[in-house]
Amino acid sequence: MNFFERQEEARRSTRRLVLLFLLAVVLIVAAVYLAVALVFTWAAEDRAADVWNPMVFAGVAAVTLAVIAAGTLYKVIALRGGGPAVARLLGGRPLPPNTRDFKERRLLNVVEEMALASGMPVPSVFVLDQEPGINAFAAGFSSADTVIGVTRGCLDLLSRDELQGVIAHEFSHALNGDMRLNLRLMGLLHGILVIAMIGYWLLRSQSGRSSGRGKKGGGGQVALLGVAFMAIGWIGVFFGRLIKSAVSRQREFLGDASAVQFTRNPSSIAGALKKIGGLPAGSRIANSHAEEASHLFFGNAMAKAFVAQLDDLMATHPPLAERIKRIEPGFDGELPAVDAEATSKLQLAAAEGEAAAGIVAGLAPAAARPAPVAAPRPPSPAASVDIDAGRVADSVGTLDQAHLAHAASFMERLPAALRDTVREPSGACAVVFGLLLDRDPALRRAQLDELRRAADAPVHAETVKLSATLEACPTEARLSLIDLALPALRRLSEPQHRVFRSAVERLIAADAKISLFEFTLQRVLLRHLEPHFHPAPPPAVAYGSLRAVSRQASLLLSILAHAGQAQPERATQAFAAGARHLADTRAVLSLLPFEQCGLAELDRALAELAKASPAMKRKLLGACAAAIAFDKRVTIQEAELLRAVADSLDCPMPPFLPGQSVA
Amino acid sequence: MTGLVIVLVVAVVLIAWLVGIYNRLVRLRNQFKNAFSQIDVQLKRRYDLIPNLVETARGYMKHERETLEAVIAARNKAQAAVQQAAARPGDPAAMQGLQGAEAGLTGALGRFFALAESYPDLKANQNMMQLSEELTSTENKVAFSRQAYNDAVMGYNTARETFPNVIIANTMGFTPAQLFELEAPAVERAAPKVSFT
Repeated sequence: MNFFERQEEARRSTRRLVLLFLLAVVLIVAAVYLAVALVFTWAAEDRAADVWNPMVFAGVAAVTLAVIAAGTLYKVIALRGGGPAVARLLGGRPLPPNTRDFKERRLLNVVEEMALASGMPVPSVFVLDQEPGINAFAAGFSSADTVIGVTRGCLDLLSRDELQGVIAHEFSHALNGDMRLNLRLMGLLHGILVIAMIGYWLLRSQSGRSSGRGKKGGGGQVALLGVAFMAIGWIGVFFGRLIKSAVSRQREFLGDASAVQFTRNPSSIAGALKKIGGLPAGSRIANSHAEEASHLFFGNAMAKAFVAQLDDLMATHPPLAERIKRIEPGFDGELPAVDAEATSKLQLAAAEGEAAAGIVAGLAPAAARPAPVAAPRPPSPAASVDIDAGRVADSVGTLDQAHLAHAASFMERLPAALRDTVREPSGACAVVFGLLLDRDPALRRAQLDELRRAADAPVHAETVKLSATLEACPTEARLSLIDLALPALRRLSEPQHRVFRSAVERLIAADAKISLFEFTLQRVLLRHLEPHFHPAPPPAVAYGSLRAVSRQASLLLSILAHAGQAQPERATQAFAAGARHLADTRAVLSLLPFEQCGLAELDRALAELAKASPAMKRKLLGACAAAIAFDKRVTIQEAELLRAVADSLDCPMPPFLPGQSVA
Repeated sequence: MTGLVIVLVVAVVLIAWLVGIYNRLVRLRNQFKNAFSQIDVQLKRRYDLIPNLVETARGYMKHERETLEAVIAARNKAQAAVQQAAARPGDPAAMQGLQGAEAGLTGALGRFFALAESYPDLKANQNMMQLSEELTSTENKVAFSRQAYNDAVMGYNTARETFPNVIIANTMGFTPAQLFELEAPAVERAAPKVSFT
């Protein structure tokens, strides 16, 4: 199954989830009514009274539904912030991108590498300081608000390889569209869990009141009701776990398999799983919200149920031993005990060693690891890339070890000053400004003048200092630099962000002739930064066929055709090559003349095209690739353009490896 | 019966709304606490540069022991102050302690650099140039992160003080947060001593 098929499947799962939820609500209303009726008829000594009372039923149903609806609505609103909202709920602390703690630095390096290899912006990373167990999660509605969270145990006890395995697993959830489904699950199910919370509160309030005095009639009833509610709430928890299990359990196996596929190193994730098995705290999460978020975690976050058989039914994760066996068929069931303190010290020494050896990124030396495949020298701008238009769409949302090696080598080749600067909030601003400067000296001067007025003096000075380095920056590094800059940019305050945004707009305005590539860079940047400051729900799928967005698709293909070909006839042919890929979509496509291809319209067109269904996006990307690859000579710049367009459609495309065809 | 149902539904909605306000305050409080962690990172970097700076200068400024010691002492004081503040970001006492210690350090560094003007060999030293360059750059980063922190504090304080949030804030222990402002250094930068030795 490829990325697009998985996205479609996630959408279908969402529908299934809603149905199961409604069923659970009906059963819970019935249970509540039964509890209320029984408690009060029993207490009223009037055994002759009818258990069934329509008025009471209507009342109970209304109140129960209101409570569930309020609980669900409240959670859905609370989770509007996306990934960061979940991380905060679980007690997470955001890691500063410029941290100097060795272990934190190592984790951030692993995350950066994985993000670059998959063509995604680098997500923010949170640490759950209060959790000694080994666990991790990924949450977010889209790649703009994706958050990776790890526990303290994970940070302290795992080796770099094992960290990479866990992060790869989490990234696979991010790339498969699981995260959005999981967040919806969390919101919906909260309403059901609320009943248990109410029961608990009722019980607490009664036990306080009646402890000093004898149980009076009213108090006893309420306490009984509290117990009943907790029992019903347990039903809610049971249904919740059942639903989660139905919807998400299989995805854990898929996540493990993806991790192995990405890293080509089964022992990385198997090692992490074994350490969980050997640790007393295991993967358990102590936080009180663990139940709500249990399906988001890498390992089983909840303690075992009292009854083992129920565990199998309700567990959100497959059993540990089974997961290890699937990765290492020869696994003998031995889980050596993990001495937390000793392992933590060992890993600290390892992290310090890696930092000292200058292994900023890059796979830690391991005898079993094949040598990195990346090219030792960056390719020249004129170097071409092989693109197989029919299969480029299949590369979306996936990556393999060659991409990881490429990302690692990219990080190592990046000048240290630039690497450190891009991780600072003020430095990241300067890097972005520098990337938007034109090559033409006169235009550049005009832009820098504009920048002096638009931004702080130190940031302007830093931009000037970096401009030479950035000018020499190869094309294929630019998109990656934007991806690297995003975590630091998210650290800006609201007013600082406004200043940054306005400076970017003014820089672009001052550049009389903005290139298509610069336009797409800016679009990638703003698309991923805005949702952090102004959370907005991700666009829902609105177009099942491209017919409704024919005009926008025509504009996109026309622009790509004109950009790649100097002569108009060639452009026509390139456009036709692209249109052939969309022949079966009922889209009405026609080449637009060069003068009508405006960037503002492209902006709007891409926003609309992002609402197409996954299947249509796949065809669209194939068409774009065909238009670009028409002349069999795809420059690095064209390839990066394709990647930027894919990003605009929420389809992360891994970097093109020089000289290798996209398989 | 209907009346009871309505009352209960309204109560539920009201509680949800109040909890929403509470959560917003928590989010804003976390925002300024996280912003402080950026200041922490930058200040730590600044403090780490100083011992190296003093050691480089010591070889040239053999008779300026007092000034050098003053810089080290001010730096240690500031380091302790930032640890205190990191434990309770936004707390007025801790922030004011940090402000005072930072002002002291800035003053001591100012005197140090003014003095260094009279040692051209020191000024020409590569290490010294690199360190003072890094120090300036770090001070810029401190200023940037301080601005972000103050923005976040303002956002929190404003939300905290508006009605009806202020009722929740006061009952739930959301105390006002303190901005991180620059105090004027205790001693004006001394005029460089002109010495004809």
